[in-house]
Amino acid sequence: MTTSPILEGTSDVPAQVFEKFLQALRNASASAELVARLRKTLLEDKKFTERALKEAILVEEPLP
Amino acid sequence: MIRVESITISEFRGIRDLTLDFKEKSFAICGPNGTGKSGVVDALEFALTGNVSRLSGEGRGDVSLKQHGPHVDKRNDPDKARVTVRVTIPSLSKNITIERSLKNPAAAKVVPADPAVLQVLRQVEAHPEIVLSRRELIRYVIATPGKRAEEVQALLHLDQVEQVRLGLQKIANTCEKQLIPLDTAIRQARENLLRALGIYELTKEKVLAIANAQRATLSLPALIDLTETTSLKDGMATPSPAQPQRIPKAQALADIRATREALAEIGSDDTMKRVVEVSADLNVLIEDPAVAASVKREAFFTTGMELVEARACPFCDTPWDLGELKKHVQAKIDHLKEVSRKRRAAETKIAPLIATLRKVQAAINTVVGYAALATPPLALKAAHEYDVHCRTAIERLNALLPLAETITVLANVPIIPQTILDDIRELEQVVAALPEPTKQDAAREWLVVVQERLEIWRDAMRKHKIAKDQALRTRQISDIYAAASDKVLAGIYADVEKDFASLYGFINREDEDKFKAQLIPSLGKLGFDVDFYGRGFFPPGAYHSEGHQDGMGLCLYLALMKHLQGGNFTFSVLDDVLMSVDAGHRREVCALLKKEFPNTQFIMTTHDPIWLRHMRTEGIIGGRSAVHFRNWSVDYGPTRWDARDVWTEIEDYRKESDVRAAASLLRHYLEYESAELCHRLRAPVEFRGDAQYQLGELLPPAITRMSELYRRAKEAANSRNQREIIEQITVREAEFAKLAAISKAEQWQVNVAVHYNSWDNLGKEDFAPVVKAFRDLLGGFMCSDCGEYLRVSPDRETPESIRCDCGKTMINLLKKSE
Repeated sequence: MTTSPILEGTSDVPAQVFEKFLQALRNASASAELVARLRKTLLEDKKFTERALKEAILVEEPLP
Repeated sequence: MIRVESITISEFRGIRDLTLDFKEKSFAICGPNGTGKSGVVDALEFALTGNVSRLSGEGRGDVSLKQHGPHVDKRNDPDKARVTVRVTIPSLSKNITIERSLKNPAAAKVVPADPAVLQVLRQVEAHPEIVLSRRELIRYVIATPGKRAEEVQALLHLDQVEQVRLGLQKIANTCEKQLIPLDTAIRQARENLLRALGIYELTKEKVLAIANAQRATLSLPALIDLTETTSLKDGMATPSPAQPQRIPKAQALADIRATREALAEIGSDDTMKRVVEVSADLNVLIEDPAVAASVKREAFFTTGMELVEARACPFCDTPWDLGELKKHVQAKIDHLKEVSRKRRAAETKIAPLIATLRKVQAAINTVVGYAALATPPLALKAAHEYDVHCRTAIERLNALLPLAETITVLANVPIIPQTILDDIRELEQVVAALPEPTKQDAAREWLVVVQERLEIWRDAMRKHKIAKDQALRTRQISDIYAAASDKVLAGIYADVEKDFASLYGFINREDEDKFKAQLIPSLGKLGFDVDFYGRGFFPPGAYHSEGHQDGMGLCLYLALMKHLQGGNFTFSVLDDVLMSVDAGHRREVCALLKKEFPNTQFIMTTHDPIWLRHMRTEGIIGGRSAVHFRNWSVDYGPTRWDARDVWTEIEDYRKESDVRAAASLLRHYLEYESAELCHRLRAPVEFRGDAQYQLGELLPPAITRMSELYRRAKEAANSRNQREIIEQITVREAEFAKLAAISKAEQWQVNVAVHYNSWDNLGKEDFAPVVKAFRDLLGGFMCSDCGEYLRVSPDRETPESIRCDCGKTMINLLKKSE
């Protein structure tokens, strides 16, 4: 994902945190699909609700 | 992100009609209390964000933007309350206009409204912190650690970070919570299986040994291994469909015994004791109506926080500020934390009761199945009803709310209806009366029942494994997120801490140049300790003065903004933020802003004309980058010390023959302008400790100084033999002397027209030449090109020149030898 040229120079703290989180997930051998879904939810769709996160994390295996 | 060119305010707050031309430069708004400075600040915030923080949020009571934003005379006509700003977006090289009306604050009219522009404006809207008042400043410094963390987090937009943290934590908690009924299901399935097997330990060897013994009775080959897919009845003939299914006598009797034991457990003293304990806890909650309502509200708010995503209310479609709404609701949830704690404690105590009810329900389901196989089938109506009763009770106890219903259900949990015991006894009698099966039939029945229960146990184990994997994964994700966000935030706080210390050290470099600070994040709190002259770290309010605390607030704000917006920190409004800071430190603040934030346009308000001068002297603002409000009235709003306005107003009074008002305004204006002239020309004035100078103490020194400067300029030109310049200065000097003579300002003590309050004796025609004389005199201090007052440069040490801001006037004061 590229940074918008308009916002270049702006420190988007949530985006920094989310990027670091996704990187840490990759390092912890999380599936590429999970990381991609979380990236879409947090950084592209900018959805932060529990429901949105649950959909991203538990999409393959719904809660029993 | 932006720079503001100008603002036009109509019928907004205390302002009727006002336009200020910032020219994208830093700008100061000066004036006594109550002259409308904050109205301009509010208008700027409104135009850029659609909100006025002074009128919204915590502690604002019944005050609201829509109701109290318009001028009081237009309170029923919010459409008339409008603010228009012309803004430049440097990164896009675009000029845009934003217009908002209080009729619909969320709907800004933006021209041109192209996507790139709107994206930048959304960013601006998302950063209301560009407007900083003293009240907000102090929030960063002397707030409690928890409150400060909230403020700083809001500034850094950490609410999103926090929302995700809470969301992931909740998902992990929910997944872990799902394991509880699955644990119960496994335990029940295992107990049923063990009971059918007739053993107490579930090991592969024991199961195979018993199963193979039964298989041998049926001449089936022994099973070598027991895997996940092994069927204990492998090879056994499938019963023909016509063959009625029979009750496995031995197993049925064992299950009936187990049902009695489960019922005995639910009717036991232990269960009763727990019911009494939980009921007491819930009664404490329900007996306090406020708390009981809070329990409901807490559940409502929490659900609402999860569901609210749209930009308008789903019921009435009224637009809302989603961020503000969430903040508001979160505050309510936080307030109900104690209620949440009590609720969780009650839920923990209820959990074993739910497990026991599940056990009973499962046992009853089993025996009900046997009843259907009896000849004739037994109805077991009471057992069926109790099964429904258990299911309803489990649902109610899981839901917890409404509390009154839960308490009623709890009271019935240990009560076992006699009818169900009668049903079970009837079934037991029927089963006991069944003929004993043959060895082969018993073996066949045993293998069928055990295989069935083995499948149930395997299924329960599979579900549990899936849920456990999910619980582990979601917990791991939650933990990874917490670690990642902690690391990023620790880095940010370290940077902000360093910048803050550096900025504060700069403005206090005289005695605190080695100043240090500590921002300590911990469990949702943000500690803030500062060094006190090397004696250790203490809270800012412990030893530092109020003025120092204001300075800290500003520096912390600037450090945060520097980190948050970096190169895009191009605009900021500082509303009277240095009220408690002394003149010397204000000068340092000016130097700091100029040095560290050269690309930021600051709009600053102050009631202190001295600070206004500091801003000019330090070069933060230019000569024309300020407005000085002189008074305010509800009918006209703020009026400024603007030459055009003042002379027009004086003339209007005079024409109406109100010479008293005209002369009063003239005198006050001349006092204001004379102070400015003395400052610019470095005129010696008799010092007054109270800084309350009258016109007679200011204007004559300014005139004398101007004359003296011309004399020095002639001497300087003469030392260089610059004849032409000497002639030019002589002309200027003569013209100025003539203007001064006409005004008689230097004979102030005998000037009856103004000084002796004899206006009543003057007619409007008599006063006209007085006005003209003073207007012309002030003109004599100005540059004929730019119309700005001349000033001596530099502003300290030996005067070197008389000059103006546009640079057209430049008169040397230094002789050749100097």
